Amino acid sequence: MARAVLHGIVVSTGIAIGKGFFVNKNPESARHELVPLDRIESEAARLQDAVDTVAAEFAEARARLPGDLRRHADVLTSHLLICTDPRLGGEALRRVREQRMNAEWALEESVARIADIFNALSSPYIRDRIEDVRLVTDRLFQRLSGACAPHPTGGERGILLAHDLTPTDVVDLPIERIAAFAVAQGGGTSHTGLLARSLHIPAVIGVFGLRKEIFDGDLLIVDGLKGKLLVDPSEAELAAYSDLREQYAIYRKRVAAYAVHPAETEDGVQVSVLANVESAAEAEGVLSAGGEGVGLVRTEFGYITRSSLPGEEDLYEEYAGLAAALAPRKVTFRTLDVGGDKVFSRGKVSEEANPALGLRGIRYCVRHQDIFRTQLRAILRAGAHGNVSMMFPLISGLSELRLAKSILNEAKQELDDADVPFDPHIPVGIMIELPSAVFMADALAREVDFFSIGTNDLIQYTLGADRGNRHVAHLYQPLHPSIVRAIKQVVDMAHKTGISVCVCGEMASDPYCLPILLGMPVDELSLAPQSIPAIKHLIRRSHARQSRKLLDQALFASTANAINNMVRQAVHSAFPEDVGFFVSQLGVNR
Amino acid sequence: MEYGVSRAEEGQEVSVTVFVRDELGMHARPAARLAQAARRYRSRIILEYEDMTADAKSVLDILFLAAGRGAPLTLRCAGEDAREAAEVLEALFNEE
Repeated sequence: MARAVLHGIVVSTGIAIGKGFFVNKNPESARHELVPLDRIESEAARLQDAVDTVAAEFAEARARLPGDLRRHADVLTSHLLICTDPRLGGEALRRVREQRMNAEWALEESVARIADIFNALSSPYIRDRIEDVRLVTDRLFQRLSGACAPHPTGGERGILLAHDLTPTDVVDLPIERIAAFAVAQGGGTSHTGLLARSLHIPAVIGVFGLRKEIFDGDLLIVDGLKGKLLVDPSEAELAAYSDLREQYAIYRKRVAAYAVHPAETEDGVQVSVLANVESAAEAEGVLSAGGEGVGLVRTEFGYITRSSLPGEEDLYEEYAGLAAALAPRKVTFRTLDVGGDKVFSRGKVSEEANPALGLRGIRYCVRHQDIFRTQLRAILRAGAHGNVSMMFPLISGLSELRLAKSILNEAKQELDDADVPFDPHIPVGIMIELPSAVFMADALAREVDFFSIGTNDLIQYTLGADRGNRHVAHLYQPLHPSIVRAIKQVVDMAHKTGISVCVCGEMASDPYCLPILLGMPVDELSLAPQSIPAIKHLIRRSHARQSRKLLDQALFASTANAINNMVRQAVHSAFPEDVGFFVSQLGVNR
Repeated sequence: MEYGVSRAEEGQEVSVTVFVRDELGMHARPAARLAQAARRYRSRIILEYEDMTADAKSVLDILFLAAGRGAPLTLRCAGEDAREAAEVLEALFNEE
């Protein structure tokens, strides 16, 4: 048996075996201690060494930059100067020597004094530079914790472990030497999944106990199907998993061979299988995975990866590029969905006691209309280059929808007045994520062109349970009767009005949810490109009529367990060899 | 030249008055340029603005001055290479 088994959420599937190495540990846990007199000089040397090494890293990174990235070089120069600034390292060294503080504590004190002075300044241009100081200090902390050498030993690929991965961390990772990611943080790390999926390696986030149970160099198995991390596995486990890893590779290869063909059930019902993406860079991956378009562009990514708010031209270029690369296939942009769990560095969301019920989604956008308009104009203009749709997240009812649409109409008018080409007939839909939108689906359907059900949020808001909170995670049940009925109601209302329904949450890639969704029937599924070939493979061997029957039974069931048992039986008998290669939220796989 | 310069030489100390030309004031980029240049000299280099003084080799110190456009700064260099430092740094302020 493994020494420990940790659990997390799979954001990229696969199996990996290798030695773990940390790239950053939680800097908040810096210890404070008084250094014994005879160790003061060695503590000072430790601090000096960290400063020298980090400064050398900045210098080296700057030297490696191609010439056309001058602006970035300026940033690195300024970081290098801050790193070696007498106010930062020099002051900290003085505190080590005079006040016997350990290096981390001394550094923290230096930063606190610097922050005090910055905060007193009136110029926002200068005040914001404290962010640079923090960024540099974070690296110094990492270096001090001895956790900065992301190099697995020998020629083998290792498993990258982190408290959290920011886009900046990801930039200078030795990518070719990483076999999998395991990250302690849950939310706000969508780029971990994105990167892992583009590298075709497994990634598990929200891993509880990562820091406590794993040490650098421990042998690990990452089960990126069941969301498990096995620490110090036994011989038997190693053998079983290397077998599974091989079988999984064979399975992926087999389903990939048919990926580009349409997905039609055995009894002739065709289902559109679309992709969820975060950036234009994924267009090629969508096509090779057999995506028939994009059902969800998570536009947040283009915001959180920039250090300042993107302008209309930046966004337009990115959106038009994606639309053109996939034309004539459709590309559906979800307007900015920030707030809640999604970190937004510049237009910082104020601290809220209850962010999930706070200023997020469309609420944030109608509050920050300048940001919203910029994005709307960019999407409208991208419409001139392909088959573009847009949808608003977290709509709670009609007046919110009408407000968003009126802003959209103003944006159209502005573009029209300025003679800028755009698509005036761009289809407009909404995300169905709130129970209120489910209840109002009939009224909402009359004023939009399509619905897209965001099942992750719909489940969380309907059942009032956060999947990332291990005390209540068991209540997060995708096939709870209330969820099945809610989706059914939305699909019925949409079809009655003649509009289509897409499902774009994780349910869309869950084999156990597939027959329920086919039974509704939903018109489109939108999922991670990586999962498309396998889901298409299952659809081709499904029966629409049987799925309908199964759904009818589920609609009469009164507990999640009853429905889970029903679908488990159905799916295991229909696809006995496939289910082991899928990620499921149901817990029926375990 | 449209800016005023006063120069007083006392042995190895050179001081020059310069003016902040950048529209945004002494913000990150000019501060970095100045600190980077100042660090090439062994002299002690100080910037004075109103009642504040800053170590010109510390980009943070320079930022703390929060000197706006047009602000007059006194640059004091003391040490063996004070004269050269003052000349080069002064020229930096006069570049566009």
